Amino acid sequence: MILEAKDVSYFYKTQKEKQILDHVNAGFSCGKLYAILGPSGSGKTTFLSLLAGLDIPTGGEICYNGKTVGARNLREHRRCHISLVFQSYNLIDYLTVTENVRLGGKKDPGKLLEGIGIGPEFWNRNVLQLSGGQQQRVAIARALASEARILLADEPTGNLDEVTAFEVTSLLKMIAHEEGKCVIVVTHSKELAEEADEIIRIGAASLSQP
Amino acid sequence: MNSVQRAWRSVVRKPVKSLLLFLAVSVISLLLLSGMGAGKANVVSQDKARQAVGAGFRLDANEKNRSRRLEEISERIGNGMEGSLEGVHQKKIETAYGTQWMVWADNSFETLQLADIEALASVEGISDYNITTCVTAVRPAGFRRIEDPDTDQHGDLGCVTLLGNRKMELDSNVLSGNVSVKEGRMIGPDDRDVCVISEELAAENGFSLGDTLSFGDRYDTLGSAVQTATVVGIYQTKQPMAAYMSGDTFRSENVIFTDLRFPEKAEGAEGDPCFEHAYFQVADVDRYEETREAMERVEIDWERYDFIDRNGELSVMSSNFNDLEKISGLFVAVTFLAGFLILFLIFLFWIRSRSRESGILLSLGVRKGSILGQLFLEALLTASLAFLLSLPAAPGAAKLAADYLVEGQMRQEELRKNMDADKVSGGGEAEQTVTGVEITVTGEMTGLCGAGLFVLVGGAVGSAGIFLLRKKPAGILSELS
Repeated sequence: MILEAKDVSYFYKTQKEKQILDHVNAGFSCGKLYAILGPSGSGKTTFLSLLAGLDIPTGGEICYNGKTVGARNLREHRRCHISLVFQSYNLIDYLTVTENVRLGGKKDPGKLLEGIGIGPEFWNRNVLQLSGGQQQRVAIARALASEARILLADEPTGNLDEVTAFEVTSLLKMIAHEEGKCVIVVTHSKELAEEADEIIRIGAASLSQP
Repeated sequence: MNSVQRAWRSVVRKPVKSLLLFLAVSVISLLLLSGMGAGKANVVSQDKARQAVGAGFRLDANEKNRSRRLEEISERIGNGMEGSLEGVHQKKIETAYGTQWMVWADNSFETLQLADIEALASVEGISDYNITTCVTAVRPAGFRRIEDPDTDQHGDLGCVTLLGNRKMELDSNVLSGNVSVKEGRMIGPDDRDVCVISEELAAENGFSLGDTLSFGDRYDTLGSAVQTATVVGIYQTKQPMAAYMSGDTFRSENVIFTDLRFPEKAEGAEGDPCFEHAYFQVADVDRYEETREAMERVEIDWERYDFIDRNGELSVMSSNFNDLEKISGLFVAVTFLAGFLILFLIFLFWIRSRSRESGILLSLGVRKGSILGQLFLEALLTASLAFLLSLPAAPGAAKLAADYLVEGQMRQEELRKNMDADKVSGGGEAEQTVTGVEITVTGEMTGLCGAGLFVLVGGAVGSAGIFLLRKKPAGILSELS
């Protein structure tokens, strides 16, 4: 297990009576695509942010390679172990495709972009000149540019049409299987979930892992 | 990609977002430079007396400095205390209306410093110099003055006016060509107890060269102490000389030119002269500016003086036209504070509107300091460009500001004169006309303005950046999803 959630609980400090996550346990390995499913408000994104080191659980712990991720090494965890992909691409709009990828890490942006199907003719364009699918691919390439072994994606196909969503799903699967990364995806999409190696269902204050 | 590279790309590729900042910095920069320029503006003023300077320089006492010194010395004597200090006297007078305080200054306070005049006269390029005394009213002893038969003399002092000169040919009345010697000669530096009288006075009393005139202290009503001066010349005028005050004491025909030290003797204050003007003649007119610079380098207490050139331009060393420097200083300070507030609000807007961008960068592991640094660099780039582009317009803006401020000052002066109209009876005050305002935006001002803008931008980004530094990573995912 590269990443583990051990007995993780979470509530907002302003709303202590409202438990978002209640004693959740889950484990994630490299080379696999995980899909986290659940209804809106079930705590999927909160769980992802705890895994990403954006926040600390109010109970339990998140472990990376068996080592607890705490307040002292939170930033290092975010910077070195995790890369993130968002639903709305979140590219920097004054940078070109290549420059956006370069923001993610030191890997050669050309190779990464070619690997995910963005040809050289797009590399020096402003990201806003690309289609939604292409932008999401660039966002994935940016996530891959880092040395991080875990890729967390929050609704990566949420803004895409069916065909493009399928392409992105295949790409994530390829990253997990061929690049050997641990890909964890929060999604509402059944199609994406069906492609996942493991499905984690998250309900009202509960989480189940088959 | 570091913060410098990101900042450069952001400014170059998305310039519209920086437009507001660009405009704000341009305006702030122009206002700061205008304020600084106006504060150091040279008010070109002319008056009739000063136009007669010719190829030389004139030194007068600075009125503002005089008032300040008077106040300071009076304070040192003590509030509610009688006494004398450095030529200033303070005396309590009991009247029917209660206690009143009289403060007055004698010659030792009023006079230009002889050592300063001599230091300036010794500058290379000055061929000769003159000193003119204050107008001194003395009682004519044994001769008649010229009087207007239609005027009631009850309110007049009943005196004549003495005007001492070191070298009469350099007196402003002579230099202007208004006064010339009809008979005899003018007075020189080595003369003692001599005078040059008007042709009217000579005719009235039947005086001729070699005759002796007697004068008494105007306060010595018994007439015990009398000083005599020998007539060495008789002068004529093209036009009557401007009277110092109303009344026949000061009328042109009753002005008697004397040697430099005679007026103080005649008024019973020997050894305590009152020098009002000094004139320095330039040897080579082609080296006029060079000589001026050399004179301005002489280490004297310049704050006491007005230094006037041949165009009648007044270069005031202590402060410019009335409170121009003070007002400009206030203007700069207000601009600085308002500028800080405006820039702070702009950067706050920047940080809020670019919250998504900073969220993305934070999620990529970029430090908050680096993001803030990027914003600072972007602001600095935009501000530098705005500052550079505002420089060519700065002299024009400074001129406008100075013109406006001087106009205000002149209006105030006019009001003051109107209010004092019933108190001053005559043209004692030289009529001063402002003919223009000269503005120079110096390198020092530009440097100061640049440094000021740097501090403003840095301070405003730093203050607004607190909101970015307080941003919690926990909110990033929900913000960006």
